[in-house]
Amino acid sequence: MIRNWSMVSMNIRDLLTSFSPSLDYLAISSGDGRIKIWDTIKGQVQTEFADITSSEGNLYAKPERGHLSVDYKCMKWLSLDKKKKRKLGSSLLVLGTGSGDVLALDVSAGQLKWSVSDCHPGGVSAVSFSALDLCIYTSGADGMICKTDPQTGNSLGKFRASTKAISCMSVSSDGKILATAAAQLKIFNCSDHKKLQKFSGHPGAVRSMVFTDDGKYVLSSAVGERYVALWKIDGGKRQSASCVLAMEHPAVFIDCRCFENEGVDDGGLYVLAISETGVCYTWCGKKVEELRNSKPTKVLLSYEEFPKKHKGALPSVLAAKLQGTAKPTAANVFIAYGLPVKPLFQKILVHPGTDVKLNSSQDGVLLPLSQSLGNSKKGRDVQNRVTALDRSNVEDALLPIPKVYDLHEKMRNRNLIDHDEVMEESVENKDVMVEVDAVTTGMEKQLRQLNILANKDDGKLSPTLDSATLKGIDLEANIPQKKMRAAVLSMEPSNAYKLLEVLVAMWQSRSYSGKCVLPWIYCILINHGQYIVAQEKPESQMLNSLLKITKSRAVAVQPLLQLAGRFQLVTAQIDKVALSKNPISLHNDQMDDNEDDDDDDDVDEHHYGEEDDGSQTAQWLHYSDENLLLWEEAQLVICTLMFKESPNGVFTICLNFQVDPKWTFHITICLNFQVDYKKLFPSEYSSLLHREASFGAGLYRFGSAHPEFFGACPELIFNLFRE
Amino acid sequence: MIRGGRSYVLSPPAFSNDAKRLLVCTSNSVTIFSTATGLPVASLDGHAALVTAVIVVPASTPASKIICYCWTASLDGIIRYWDFSVPELIKIINVNLPIISMVIPTLLSQTAETNEKSPKTFAYLSVENTKEPEKESSKALRGQIKKFNLTNSRMAGGMTLTETKQPEIITVSSSGKYFGIRFKRKLQIWKVPTAETERAMVKKITLHHTKNMNVLAFHPTQRIVAAGDVTGRILIWRGFGDRTFADGDGLVNGKLMNNEEERPGVRGDDDADSCTTWHWHSAEVNVLFFSSDGAYLYSGGKEGVLVVWQLDTGRKKFLPRIGSPLLWLTDSPDPSLSSISCADNQIHLLKMPSMEILKSISGIKLPCSFPEMCNGLQSGIAFDCNAGLVALRTENYCIQLYSLFDDRGVSEVVICERNHQPGDEVTVVVTLAVLSLDGSMMSTAEVKLPEEGLGGLVCLKFWALGSQNKEFSLSTIIYEPHRDAGISAIAFHPTRPMAVSSSNGGDFKVWVCNNGIQQMDQPLSNSGWTCHAVGSYKKKPMTAATFSSDGSVLAVAAETVITLWDADKNILVAVIGETLMPVVNLSFVGTSEYLVSASRGSKPQLSIWSMSKLCVSWSYMLHVEVLGYTVTTASTKPTSVVFNDAAMLKCNAYFLELTLQFYSLHKSLKLQCPNLSNLISASAISYSIASAADMSSFAALALLPESSKCNEISLKGRDGVILLFNASDPVPIFTWSVNKAKGGALAFIQANQSSIDENELDGKPPQSLLAYINGDHEYLLFDPQGKEAKEHSAIRQEGLGDLEEAGKFGYASIYGELPQFDPKRKQASWVPSAPLERAWETVFSGSSHNLPPLTKLCSVFLESLLEKRTANVD
Repeated sequence: MIRNWSMVSMNIRDLLTSFSPSLDYLAISSGDGRIKIWDTIKGQVQTEFADITSSEGNLYAKPERGHLSVDYKCMKWLSLDKKKKRKLGSSLLVLGTGSGDVLALDVSAGQLKWSVSDCHPGGVSAVSFSALDLCIYTSGADGMICKTDPQTGNSLGKFRASTKAISCMSVSSDGKILATAAAQLKIFNCSDHKKLQKFSGHPGAVRSMVFTDDGKYVLSSAVGERYVALWKIDGGKRQSASCVLAMEHPAVFIDCRCFENEGVDDGGLYVLAISETGVCYTWCGKKVEELRNSKPTKVLLSYEEFPKKHKGALPSVLAAKLQGTAKPTAANVFIAYGLPVKPLFQKILVHPGTDVKLNSSQDGVLLPLSQSLGNSKKGRDVQNRVTALDRSNVEDALLPIPKVYDLHEKMRNRNLIDHDEVMEESVENKDVMVEVDAVTTGMEKQLRQLNILANKDDGKLSPTLDSATLKGIDLEANIPQKKMRAAVLSMEPSNAYKLLEVLVAMWQSRSYSGKCVLPWIYCILINHGQYIVAQEKPESQMLNSLLKITKSRAVAVQPLLQLAGRFQLVTAQIDKVALSKNPISLHNDQMDDNEDDDDDDDVDEHHYGEEDDGSQTAQWLHYSDENLLLWEEAQLVICTLMFKESPNGVFTICLNFQVDPKWTFHITICLNFQVDYKKLFPSEYSSLLHREASFGAGLYRFGSAHPEFFGACPELIFNLFRE
Repeated sequence: MIRGGRSYVLSPPAFSNDAKRLLVCTSNSVTIFSTATGLPVASLDGHAALVTAVIVVPASTPASKIICYCWTASLDGIIRYWDFSVPELIKIINVNLPIISMVIPTLLSQTAETNEKSPKTFAYLSVENTKEPEKESSKALRGQIKKFNLTNSRMAGGMTLTETKQPEIITVSSSGKYFGIRFKRKLQIWKVPTAETERAMVKKITLHHTKNMNVLAFHPTQRIVAAGDVTGRILIWRGFGDRTFADGDGLVNGKLMNNEEERPGVRGDDDADSCTTWHWHSAEVNVLFFSSDGAYLYSGGKEGVLVVWQLDTGRKKFLPRIGSPLLWLTDSPDPSLSSISCADNQIHLLKMPSMEILKSISGIKLPCSFPEMCNGLQSGIAFDCNAGLVALRTENYCIQLYSLFDDRGVSEVVICERNHQPGDEVTVVVTLAVLSLDGSMMSTAEVKLPEEGLGGLVCLKFWALGSQNKEFSLSTIIYEPHRDAGISAIAFHPTRPMAVSSSNGGDFKVWVCNNGIQQMDQPLSNSGWTCHAVGSYKKKPMTAATFSSDGSVLAVAAETVITLWDADKNILVAVIGETLMPVVNLSFVGTSEYLVSASRGSKPQLSIWSMSKLCVSWSYMLHVEVLGYTVTTASTKPTSVVFNDAAMLKCNAYFLELTLQFYSLHKSLKLQCPNLSNLISASAISYSIASAADMSSFAALALLPESSKCNEISLKGRDGVILLFNASDPVPIFTWSVNKAKGGALAFIQANQSSIDENELDGKPPQSLLAYINGDHEYLLFDPQGKEAKEHSAIRQEGLGDLEEAGKFGYASIYGELPQFDPKRKQASWVPSAPLERAWETVFSGSSHNLPPLTKLCSVFLESLLEKRTANVD
């Protein structure tokens, strides 16, 4: 795309811009003698000054639009306070004209505050403000520097700085020194007007010159020179620039700001320049050497949206001001861009090395007739298409049903949600859950210590072993007891013993579920009991380990009880609502994984004694609805187990329901087990349990139980539920 | 400290003699605006209360037009005399009674020749009689019209002209000959004595009407008075006071009338020739003003239309579409310029004969009254903390974005596309407006009020900010997002384009923006929001919602409990709670582990929840009765709570925990005032998002109960307290008492670079400023950790001294001086926080169903703790 740069440069070179001290207004004078004050917050014109000089005189007369335009040469918005307070009426817009007048506008009052006519014959070239003695310095073509009182406009003195016309002048921020640019660049002491240093300067007229905040350097740029020069003020004899920052086009405006630089005396420097083409350049360096080698970061405008055949001015960066450095190297730049007829204002963060591209808008552009307005409007409509959703907005929701945070899922997905610190923490610290965690690991460790779990990976038995040792017995098949008995009896005692060993190992390693294995073990024990007892050697300890396993499994009552509890709840619910669905089956799989989450830490919990059956039932029923609800929705019922064996051989299991983390209900269900090792067998128990449970709400009371029962029961109950 | 958001329209403004300045009463000061640019030029600061009157001393000769003197009167009972060109205070006169209105007729009638005598200046004041007890009886006459000698600064002896139930505003004729008030259905008009002396009697007449009147105006030259009533009628009495005021007055134009003659329209024995009625306005008339030549009468009212009546013919001309009810019309010495003040806090400068608006001076939008039913619990004020903007609902269905640092409006977003005429019945209410953390997105909720129970509609809208034009554009509109239920809260995700809206209908919805990541420099293209997830908890109404500062946790209050969610997966993580009343405000405290909740109603409560323990960390609430235990939450870990009993005394608020209550029962001295119910009702909570290490602080705005307000004189009308807390510590770091807290809001605003330059108080730029905006939309920005923070003990005793001119009062002022306590001893008096030796579960042995009720358990529990403590002391 070919751009008509000449148009643009014309435009921006003739433009005078100045931000108000607090950056809330921007004054733009585009060479026609009018000054527009833009409100940078609202993005609107606040006031317009036209023909200021003629508005003096009679009191009520409105300033009429004069036809004589004033040729403004320089403009600066000065804050009269030492501190940059946003105080009313404390700022002045000072203008210098080509005819040598200096005008001061009180922008907020909307009137001319004072004017000095013919201050610099031949034209005023620069205005600057000294914070030290609160006065305005002006320079002009006559080579003089004038000092003016900002309140009254009275002259406070003048001195000759050059025999030639001064093209630019600047006062340092502390107000002690002053730099002028004529043929040479000279540094003066403000108080005694003595020349401190001189530099070779620029051959052409200097357009912009600025001191660094610390007053150690002065930056300047001249007409037709594609660089910004940095001059070091140290009183030395050196006349050349200490650093030159190259640009693609001559600069029209320079700003700079020091930033904190830890460890180094010299602060880092951030330099900003606007080129004639309306591109904003920024350099950043911690030292001058670094600055010299640094590449500029540009802020430019994209013209993609702009009509290609546009004849008028192209949007550009009109004015910019460094607002401060946010991070070590990034700078806040307040920028005005677009067309002078409708500038846009934005605060942007410039990181060195990443160019910023700003979108321009067509606001304020006079479009040729051929470009129908509708066209662009359509484009805008596409951009701003509004989505409308009606009542059925949920239908395409990704997650329409809330889930409850699940501990087990959490365990599995631990890695996935690791980043989720807060949540993790919140759950981990939920003490009940942590307890469960601890129990799981502790249990395993305990089992290992007890040699119940083999220290080697007690994984699966090899399939070859299976087929060899199982002697064609299909453990999975549902074999009637008689057939099983026959099969076992048909074995030789030694084989049966081996089979028993295998089965015990299988049960221990859980390669087959107890449901399949246990009937066989049971059958073998019954039929070959004598032999086995005889075979049992002290080193093999097979029976011993079997006992240990059964005992340990016996502790695995919690899931059983959970299941029982759920079953209870469900039946209670069913009784009430007369629903036929059995939601419990949903949980089975989960529970399978779970069967060994024993809770024997709780064994030493207190036993609150036998309760009256009636009261317990009532209590249970009372809470069942709520609990079920909770269970389903939020799983907030945490069931802990208290387990105690009393000396008289009664097992009591207490269920402790915590309804809410913060509110503990001790709902105790006592399950008393009369331990009798001989009497009953698992199959019979299953029916007993079944019957008991189907009574609905109530107390579980098992007549007596063999420890074997506990091991077998989970499976049996699963079966029940599967039916 | 930055102040702003002041109302420009509470009192009539005044023009300077050269008509280049407009003096506007802006709360405690008078701001001088330039009529050429509409920008503030200077301000007259000094009054300690609302300035109610500003009177520019008129120039008697054209040459003296540059003289810039003015009188101001304020509710603080002081009249000040200023040279406003400098500006500089010349004189202070203390009246000691709140001045509602002031007129100085002598200034107006003064002519050049009387100048050399420099006669005494008399002002007529409408004051509020503070001696008369408030509320005692409805018959008490609190308003008085008094004559005051400004030269000698004393009341003219015994000159109470009249007494009214409420203080009234005095209107003076431009000639300075008459002044009057209207109250109820009467006009009272006094004639200023020609030779004004201390004892000069002021004659009075009364005119009657059948309706309550709102405003009156005097004709500049003739004896004509006009009054506007609440129904929109304008009454014009001609020749008032012919009988009473007749003696020696040149104005009587020889038409001395016979009493028996017919006097059309005049009621009863009223002293007037005739009374005519004009009726155009459909609603009340608020503005009446005669043009300076007396040929025209301007009237305006609730419709926002300025009407010009030709006085002789009754012909009308209109300036419509001003957009807001008119409040005052002021003319300037320049006949072509006058100003009109509107209820939306704008002053328009009118070019007079043509009634063309030249400039507008606009301030922050004033709070507007919404129908009570949809007022909700939110104040509808949202903050953009980075840019320092506040978003306010306006009456014309807009959201005004107002820059706090610059005290200027930025833009207005039309939320509902419908015309607004002032005086129309409100049919749509914007109930909520929320800005995202980076300010690039906005969400609003609006309710179309059902008409006769039909057609109510709730809308949720999402707006996106165009990067350049600073305008919000509508991106998504969702009709009935939660079926018919209203939206109780909206919250944006801190980093992603995600938002949650909670409804009273029992669910909340998580919305996501389709295009996910939006580019900074590109306008959002096709950025529709869609529903991502729906959640509910036991079908309870969801009353508040918020995201944690990293966005990982979504907290939604389901009435009295707080549910914590993983918003991405829509998983309920935990439930904490519960409070006594539904939670209305939720907020995470910065990056810390604390969550703040506030509930209102009969049992207001401010609770801090610890996310790591999932329980209440500490909480302030009412104290209901002296001995009544309020058992609300049983924390699972009561022993982790730390509290300071000195603070308990000071704040006179009780922690929820039984232990703590028990201790405070022992110590509290303040239990003698059992009628102090409703101690604190937290109405707004804000939190610091500052990332500084110690910035786990938050501020809460609490309303003080009625009872303490009227009991304590020292409060001076302050009805709210800003409490700055560190989340881990229940002792407030600072307290500031503020007025007009109802409907207020709080936020921590990121101090930006330009504001730092101006706020550098003690060298160190503040990290974040606390912005407080009160019910009248006046705001205050200050550094909560500022230099005042350094004098710890002093502040703890008396609060911040100089925050407001009238003096800050902390709790000490509310509840009286407390015994001194030094910080060292205070440290020692922390209740031991070590856990009990016995496990918590074992304190009560037994299952819950056979435990006694908790109220009975309490004493057992406390006893066990008491034992523990004595053991510790030993």
